[in-house]
Amino acid sequence: MTAASPAGGPPPARREPPAVSARAGLLRIREELPAWQFWLLGIIPVAVLLLAWMAVTHGVAEERVISPTILPSPAEVLASFPQLWFERELTRNIGVSFVRVLEGFALALAVSFPLGVLMGAFSKVKAAFAPLTMFSAYLPIPTLVPLTLSLFGTGEMQKVVFLALAFTIYLVPLFVAAVDAVDDTYLKTAYTLGATKGQAVSHVLLPISWPDIWQAMRMGFGVGWSYILLAEMVDMGRGLGGIILSSQRRGPREHIYLVLVFIVLVAFLTDRLWAVVGRWLFPYREAKR
Amino acid sequence: MEEQPKVGPTGLGKMVLFLFVLACIAGAAYYFRDLLAPGGRGGGKQVNLDDFKKVEAPDTKGITTVSEYKYVPGEKLPPVKGVSAYKWDAQQKVVNFPINVWIGWLPIVAANGGFSPNPDSIFARKYGFKVNLKLIDDPVVARDAFAAGESHVLWGTLDMMVLFAPDLMKDSRSAPRIFQQVDWSSGGDGIVVRGSIASVADLKGKTIVYAQNSPSQYFINNLLLNAGVQPSSVKHKFTATAFEAAAAFVADKSIDACVSWAPDIYNIPEKVKGTRVLTTTAEANKLIADVWAARADFAKDHPEVIKGLVAGIFDGMDRLKDATQREKAYQWMAEGYGMQADEVRAMANDAHSTNFSENKAFFLNANDPANFERTWKNVTFVYRELGLLDTPIRFDEVMDFSALQDLDKAGTFAHQKDESRATFTPTSYKKMSAESPILTQTIRINFYPNSANVFEPQHDENGKAVANTLYDPSVAATLEKVARLVGQYERAIVAVVGHADSSMKGKGTRFEDVKQLSTDRAEAVKQALVKKYNFDPNKFTVEGKGWDEPANADDPMNQALNRRVEISVYPPEAK
Repeated sequence: MTAASPAGGPPPARREPPAVSARAGLLRIREELPAWQFWLLGIIPVAVLLLAWMAVTHGVAEERVISPTILPSPAEVLASFPQLWFERELTRNIGVSFVRVLEGFALALAVSFPLGVLMGAFSKVKAAFAPLTMFSAYLPIPTLVPLTLSLFGTGEMQKVVFLALAFTIYLVPLFVAAVDAVDDTYLKTAYTLGATKGQAVSHVLLPISWPDIWQAMRMGFGVGWSYILLAEMVDMGRGLGGIILSSQRRGPREHIYLVLVFIVLVAFLTDRLWAVVGRWLFPYREAKR
Repeated sequence: MEEQPKVGPTGLGKMVLFLFVLACIAGAAYYFRDLLAPGGRGGGKQVNLDDFKKVEAPDTKGITTVSEYKYVPGEKLPPVKGVSAYKWDAQQKVVNFPINVWIGWLPIVAANGGFSPNPDSIFARKYGFKVNLKLIDDPVVARDAFAAGESHVLWGTLDMMVLFAPDLMKDSRSAPRIFQQVDWSSGGDGIVVRGSIASVADLKGKTIVYAQNSPSQYFINNLLLNAGVQPSSVKHKFTATAFEAAAAFVADKSIDACVSWAPDIYNIPEKVKGTRVLTTTAEANKLIADVWAARADFAKDHPEVIKGLVAGIFDGMDRLKDATQREKAYQWMAEGYGMQADEVRAMANDAHSTNFSENKAFFLNANDPANFERTWKNVTFVYRELGLLDTPIRFDEVMDFSALQDLDKAGTFAHQKDESRATFTPTSYKKMSAESPILTQTIRINFYPNSANVFEPQHDENGKAVANTLYDPSVAATLEKVARLVGQYERAIVAVVGHADSSMKGKGTRFEDVKQLSTDRAEAVKQALVKKYNFDPNKFTVEGKGWDEPANADDPMNQALNRRVEISVYPPEAK
């Protein structure tokens, strides 16, 4: 941003508007897309994937490229839907898993938000916790399952704590970065106006980093779904992770893929919700561009 | 702002409208709740415990001890269609054979001289192919590698095969063909309990934890059903593996029992106060069968390799008779598992390797109380009752005894004699019943009044017996139910206790006579079992209680309930 050379700008040769090549053609940098193109381009890869899936699972079991014992066809997956919905209580299990993710997220926020903000604001706090957050980012989280088991039992508590752990490890660095990103100018201005330490945090650092913090939360919320399988490994039976785990053993395989689709669907819907609320909370963020 | 004429509802109006719409949606959701969030069908369903014996049509003949299947496996096995889809190098001829951490694989490790394909192995020297043993401990991964054609063989217990088979058979090429039993779990699986639980019946209302869809699930639910405890009257907690079940049991004091594996089941009672082993497969030593299955397309293309695998594993068992060879095998196994030889040696008593003669009994003898067919049907029954199995597979769609039959004809392993049969010394009921039984199964055989003949025919109005009829038509099925339990608990001792009704109490009948009748009835049940299923008579102790112990203390005059025989399984050390 501030890289403009004091000697009067970059050499003229660079200043010339880029030749037609950069703005024309099929692909243009930062081009404004009409809505229909936006949706169409988004649908094509999905459609291609679906077609490929149909192609490799087409025909009699023995003649397929990929055997139905590994990958059932889209039609077979669809056909197993009523069983998943009615007999295996899909919606209730989505509810159970969703609540777990939500509780884990809330618990993680209670820890990682203050920690992240403090680390972002005060260098000593950051120095104290940085090694820990660095280290935990590389931690293979599955190894923590037995540990949470012995500390928190086999019930709901263990699952929520396990998810909270995964969330926290993911969120803290993002929160720190969000607070870090606040430009020094704002702080200096605040100090000039006589702001105290507390005010600098609550009136400058926090309000300015809110949109980034929100963005971090939005991205982090999805993480819970990737750990749901591990969280529900113990005392499974309820929840989407439990359905996948037991379908791997006793089938039907179709339900594994169907549940994956639903996890994606739920994740997509919640992500939209985050986006909508974000736009409502921080309208100025959209105006930046 | 104020001058602008307001159009539409006020703020309050909007709020009311919003709430109204919300209420409508909520109401609709509630109305369609069964469609939106159906409650499933499993859960608290009650199992008809009497169904336990109705898995087969009554069979009153078959009094001989050995009756071999007459059919050819190929007639019943589903045909293989399409082009074979497994990886195979015709030059190298390496069979990919995944195994888990389990001492039962010691014979094949011994035969193969370690895990990697080996030109000096028995397989290479005698049968012309190599075997690559791979450690794949996760059954789901092993199953997927099998389905994908990466491995030619699938390891598993018969109860796991029951769950895997329906899905694997969607493609006739990856249908599992089970050719050989490797071992019986014999102390490797067990149930650890907390507090005052003394027998399976005490688990009612308690919380148990185990790995779902694993031998543990079959073990405990089979026990519950046999002891007449509704599985739904027990709180089940599931884990993904047996290790986690043990860890959960130790960590969570609210869990009353866990089903897990050695060494955990023996370590827990040593380390955690107030816990003890309820039962293990050391007693239920013919319940969990470890087998291997080959892909149907591979078996069809390479019958000689299948035969070589079966024979090589039997050769390995011969080899293990030699102490130095055995030590070597422990060493190889330790290397393959990344363990210490001592740790492998410590597993030696977890399983009993089943040699040729025992395989013959398992696959071919239709009268063996713990054979393939009965085990398969029993597993199928248990999983169906639990609502975990929709379309079960028949035993003869996966069981292939062709290789065994060939070896039998050739007489290659005629020297391998049955080593699994436990020997019993007679014991008294009094001594035995001082201990508490692992479980008690109540069976009801309708005896003709004053008769102790289990196969009593019906009688006409004049009291004359009617030929080819049975007073209790389901007696064979009832005995079958008992035989399965007694067969599973091959090493345990069994009390057969007869009871009579009290309809003649105080009407001049002597108690000695009633006691004799109840003893005779118990004896008749014992004899019927010994005769048909070739049990050791000393395995049973017989006792008659007369009318002294009504079935239900709160309803002592329920005579139909009182005329009964109870089968109690006691740990072998009770004598």
